[in-house]
Amino acid sequence: MGAYIARRLLSGVITIWFIATATFFGMHAVPGDPLLNDKAVTPEIRANLERAYGLDKPVPQQYLIFLKNMLQGDFGISFTQQNRRVNDIIAEHFPVSATLGVLALLFAAGGGIMFGALTALFRSRMPDYLIMFLVIIAVSVPSFVFAGLGQLAILRLNSLLGFSLLPVAGWGTVAHMLVPALVLGLGTMAYLTRLMRSSMLEVAETDYIRTARAKGLTPRRIFFRHQLRNAILPVVTVLGPAIAAITTGGFVVELVFAIPGLGRYFVQAVQQLDYTVIMGTTVFYGAFLVLMVIAVDIVYGFIDPRIQVSKSLS
Amino acid sequence: MSEQPVLSVRDLEVEFDTFGGKVRAVRGVSYDVHAGETLAVVGESGCGKSVTVQALMGLIPTPPGRIVGGSARLMGRELIGLNQAQLNDVRGADMGMIFQDPMTSLNPTMRVGDQIAETLVVHRDISRDAALAEAVRLLERTRIPEAAQRARQYPFEFSGGMLQRVMISMSLACTPKLLIADEPTTALDVTIQDQVLELMQEIQREDHMAIVLITHDLGVVARMADRVAVMYAGEVVEYGSVDDIFYRSAHPYTEGLKEAMPDMHQHGKDRLEAIPGSPPDLFSPPPGCAYHPRCPHAMRICNRIGPSEYPVGDAHHASCWRLHEDAPTTASEDGHAG
Repeated sequence: MGAYIARRLLSGVITIWFIATATFFGMHAVPGDPLLNDKAVTPEIRANLERAYGLDKPVPQQYLIFLKNMLQGDFGISFTQQNRRVNDIIAEHFPVSATLGVLALLFAAGGGIMFGALTALFRSRMPDYLIMFLVIIAVSVPSFVFAGLGQLAILRLNSLLGFSLLPVAGWGTVAHMLVPALVLGLGTMAYLTRLMRSSMLEVAETDYIRTARAKGLTPRRIFFRHQLRNAILPVVTVLGPAIAAITTGGFVVELVFAIPGLGRYFVQAVQQLDYTVIMGTTVFYGAFLVLMVIAVDIVYGFIDPRIQVSKSLS
Repeated sequence: MSEQPVLSVRDLEVEFDTFGGKVRAVRGVSYDVHAGETLAVVGESGCGKSVTVQALMGLIPTPPGRIVGGSARLMGRELIGLNQAQLNDVRGADMGMIFQDPMTSLNPTMRVGDQIAETLVVHRDISRDAALAEAVRLLERTRIPEAAQRARQYPFEFSGGMLQRVMISMSLACTPKLLIADEPTTALDVTIQDQVLELMQEIQREDHMAIVLITHDLGVVARMADRVAVMYAGEVVEYGSVDDIFYRSAHPYTEGLKEAMPDMHQHGKDRLEAIPGSPPDLFSPPPGCAYHPRCPHAMRICNRIGPSEYPVGDAHHASCWRLHEDAPTTASEDGHAG
C-alpha cells in the first residue's frame, strides 16, 4: 500500500509539473501587458518593474527561475496587488473556498446517494418522477441562476419570519455557508442522484440480490446490506472529478454571495494577466485535485474488497 | 407413496405481461417430491422449468409476472398467495435454493462467512458469533479446506466450484426440507460438476432432504434423479421414475431428448439426432399438443385437441394421443399419420 501511494504521488508530481509548464507558456503566449496601468508609466519605471519581476530576461530563463522558486514553495509577489505575496493570498483565501467546497460536496454526495436510492426504491411512482424532474432542472440551470434565486429565497424567508434567520451574503458563520454550499453542490448532487439511481436499479437485477431474497431476508435488510453498498461504488468513483467540478465551479457562487474565496483571485488574475497569481493558483488547484483523486482511489479500496493493490502494480 | 410429499405442485400457471402480449410460461404444472428423493426437471431452454420453481419461491418479479392459478404445498403448507413476511419465514429456512452461476450469485462486497451466517441470524434466534462459527462448520461440511480462513474471504477469492460449495453451505444453513437446484452445474467444468453432484448426493443421504434438480443434461439426470418430470412449452409432458424415462419412455419429446444425448456406444451413428424445429412461441402456443409441429408421430387430432395425461405404468404418465385406447398401434401408425 505504501509503495502504491508513493507511486501515485510521484505520477501526481509529474502531472503538476505538466500543468505548471503548460500554463506558464500558455500564459506568456496570451497577448497583453501585465504591467499595463492607468497611471502614466515612464520608460524608466517600466524598466525597473521589469527587472523587479524578472520580465527582462528571456522566457525560457524566466521558466527556469519559476520552477526553482516553485520547488521552494514560493510563487512570488502579485503584479496587481501591491507587495502581496501569492502564498499569502492562497493561505488567506483558500480555507474559505475549501470550507465552502467541502460543505457543498457533503450536500452533493449525501443528497445524491439519498435521493438516488429513494428514486430506485419508489421506481416509476410519484417520488421517483418528482425527484427526476427536479434533477433535470438542477442539471440544466446554471449555478448563477440558482445563486440569485437562493438569495431571493433567503430574503423572502427573512421577511416572512420578521427577523434575519440567514444572511443574504458575506462570510463568517455557518449560517453564511449553508445556502451557497447548497447552490454550489446542486449540479453535482443532481448528477450523483442520476448515477445512484441507475446503479441501484442495476444492482436490484443482479443474481446476488435474487440469492438474498431466496435466503428469506427482509426487503429492508436486502436494501441496506446488499444493494446500497454495491450501488455506491460507481458513485465513489466519480467523487474525484466531482470535487474538481465543485472547487473550480466555486467562483460564480463566491462572487454572488460575496464570499472572500480563492476563486475570485483565480479569475481576476487571468483577466489582469497577473502572472504570479495565475501560476500560483493554477498549480495549487492542480495539486489539490491530484491529491483528491488519489485520496478517492484509496478510499475506494476500503469499500470494494475486489480493488486491491496487486504486487505488479506497486 | 403413502407419506406426505415434501413439495407438491398442482396445476401451477404463471403468466408474464410483456409489450408483445401475454406469455404463458407455465401452463398447469404438477409434480411431487418426497423426502430423500430427487426430482429432475428437464427440458429445453424456455420450457418453464426455472419459472415454475421461481414462482413457488416467490422470486418472480411481479409485475410483469403473475401466478394465475394452481397450488404449491411445502410440507402441506400452501405457498402460493403468501405475503412477503410469510414467504420470508419459509425461504432459506424450509427451502433453500442454489443457482446456475455461483460467480454472480454471491454478494461481491461481503465476506462469504457473513453471507452464510446472515441466513442463520435471520431465521434462528442466534448470536452473530455463533452464526459465524456455524458458517465455518457448514463450509467444512461442504469440504472447503481451511474453512475458518475461507469464511473471512470474499467471493472473488474463490473458484467457481468452490463458490458453488459456498452456495450449497448457504442454502443448507437452516437444514431445509427441500433444496431447489436450478442448473447447479451448468456453469462448472466437468470434473467440478462431478464433485458438486457427489456433494449434493452425500448431503441428501445425511439430511434426508428432497431435491428439485433443474437441468437440461440427461447425464446429470441419470446420475442424480429418482423421478423425472419432462417439461415442454410450460407443461409436464411425461413424468415417471428415472428408469421409466430412460427405458420405457412414452412421449415422443422424451424420445427426442434421448436421441440428442451423446452416447458412449453409438453403434454406427456419426451424428447426434437433433429434434427438428424449435420450441413454440409461448405468446401463442399452437392449438392442440404443443409438440405436434416437431413430432414425427403427429396425427390429425394432435393439432386440434391437446392430449390428456395417460397412465403408462405405476406413477408414470405421459401426455400423448398415442397412449389413448383408440390410437393406432405402433405397427400400423405410419399409415395413419398425417
